[in-house]
Amino acid sequence: MNYLLFICSGGDYSADDVELLQRECPRWVEEMDGRGVRLLGRQLDDPETAVTVRVRDGETLLSDGPFAESKEFVAGFDVLRCQDLDEAIEVAAKHPVSWFREIEIRPFREGLEVGEEALAFGRGEDAGADPYCLMLCLDGIPAAPEVEESVMREGRAWSEDLRARGVQVLAHPLQHKDAATTVRVRGGETLVSDGPFVETKEFIGGIAFIRCAGRQAAIEIAAAHPLARHHMVEVRPFLTE
Amino acid sequence: MTPAGVQEAVDAAFRGEWGRVLATLIRRTGDWDLAEECAQEAFAEALRRWPLDGVPERPGAWLSTVAGNRAIDRLRRRVRERELMDAVGREQMTESGAGEVISEPPEESGEIPDDRLRLIFTCCHPALPMEGRVALTLRTLAGLTTAEISRAFLVPEATMAKRLTRTKAKIAAAGIPYRVPPAHLLPERLAGVLAVLYLMFNEGYSASSGPDLIRAGLCGEAIRLARGLRQLMPQEPEVTGALALMLLHHARLDGRVGAEGELIPLEEQDRGRWDAGEIGEGLSLLDGALRRRAVGPYQLQAAIAACHARAARAADTDWREIAGLYALLERLMPSPVVLLNRAVAVAMSGDVEAGLALVDELSAGGRLERYHLLEATRADLLRRRGDHPAAAAAYERALGLAPSSAERLYLLRRLREVRDAEQP
Repeated sequence: MNYLLFICSGGDYSADDVELLQRECPRWVEEMDGRGVRLLGRQLDDPETAVTVRVRDGETLLSDGPFAESKEFVAGFDVLRCQDLDEAIEVAAKHPVSWFREIEIRPFREGLEVGEEALAFGRGEDAGADPYCLMLCLDGIPAAPEVEESVMREGRAWSEDLRARGVQVLAHPLQHKDAATTVRVRGGETLVSDGPFVETKEFIGGIAFIRCAGRQAAIEIAAAHPLARHHMVEVRPFLTE
Repeated sequence: MTPAGVQEAVDAAFRGEWGRVLATLIRRTGDWDLAEECAQEAFAEALRRWPLDGVPERPGAWLSTVAGNRAIDRLRRRVRERELMDAVGREQMTESGAGEVISEPPEESGEIPDDRLRLIFTCCHPALPMEGRVALTLRTLAGLTTAEISRAFLVPEATMAKRLTRTKAKIAAAGIPYRVPPAHLLPERLAGVLAVLYLMFNEGYSASSGPDLIRAGLCGEAIRLARGLRQLMPQEPEVTGALALMLLHHARLDGRVGAEGELIPLEEQDRGRWDAGEIGEGLSLLDGALRRRAVGPYQLQAAIAACHARAARAADTDWREIAGLYALLERLMPSPVVLLNRAVAVAMSGDVEAGLALVDELSAGGRLERYHLLEATRADLLRRRGDHPAAAAAYERALGLAPSSAERLYLLRRLREVRDAEQP
């Protein structure tokens, strides 16, 4: 199964903690890449760089900051391929961030394909463009079947168009937040809990990693997604080397 | 065979075999809802067939076969429907056919774990919501209906049905494996299973009178599940310890509530009303577990319950031993409630001042603020010291916090006693 790890952060780290994270995170990446459980992953830029995009009555509305107002925020993603949830929990519990903050494990919907482009993206190869993450938000309340159907259809068309243009490197829907599991490690003990890292009305229902020509282009791409009309899309740059 | 006799045989098979039939079917199909439906159909089929054909020699095997055949039929039908859909030009389905789905996978190791063990570890997985773990364990292993579980937890049936559906949906969507955890995860996961059973037991125990009799049935279910788990894992002393603990508490169930529904404190209970059979079984289980020399929280709690059970009169209680056991328990699982209990044991073993000092230490820490038993304990210890005005004030504070009427009735009685003692 494929899982997305939301690496969660927030609050201040001490100098010692920062040093430990800088030392241990690359070791984790090396170990998990070696085992073949981690396919790719990248760090996001600070939440202050986020912009949340809504389209209402044909007008694009922008607000600064992440979609959810909370102390904690997503600081990066890793895409895993694991045997089952127990393996994903074990992998998450070895990630140093879980020793200080927490990591949410969310299964992808079936059918995720990770191509060569996505792997290169994971290595930080951006082909001269700017890497952005689009977090597609939902509220989980089912709309009328014809609305759901049209959102799905338009979403697929949006995705195919971006892929054809070489803009999108990876995009896939996630399982509902009810399928989320949050992992923390305290005092050497792995603490597992049901649910997402932060309970909000709206939650990330899918992600798209794209490469485009800057922030304005990323906003336009986000605004073209049907969920920008029904809910919202958070746009955040990935960190670059 | 008489219809009543057949009904009895089916009931007995249901109590004994439901969990096993269902657990095997879930493993073979990977589909919890399908497995549940087919298991139900097999029991319905038994009600039709056994009056005519007689009760089979091995009812469990008969039920498993019938349920398995039903599952194959349904899966084949699904495949056929898909093929029909393909034929009319719908998208290709790639899942395997029923024959493959239902075939017995070879076991990875020589050991064949009982499917019920897989089932209980999956139902009690830490990534599931706690309420869902308890409900799903009762539904799948104990065979309670959704209506019965909803009554036991005092929620509407629709709420409980939704809770069960969501829990099963998470198992599938999140990829929770259907297996007994590997050795390195076993201690932690086994503790999780025992926590679910003990929570189930306490849910029943805390509501074991009058209108709450349905909830009291939870105690019996928890004990039955613990017995089953012990049969499957006889080498785990904590499983045996948990069973012993439940039996030793359960033995006192009838003696702890008075005619008015008020709680009777341990020292005033009529020990003749305690269930000697359960006490005997609990004590011998505990001895067996302790001999394995791997002590854990359940064995320690059972050992404390055993000290009470062994005392013929309240005055014979070995409080010094109990205080020592609480000190050990505090080391294994430090918690303010354990410390509070130790304070009582220390006071009861003769040193009331030291007990009160521990209570003061706890309230200074502030961790048990708003916990009625902190004030109730302080009140009891002050009463024993003969400090009636201070005891009365503490009983009043405890009354304001007590959650159940049984506890309020007890506190009111004590309050009256200390007030009367104050009168010249």
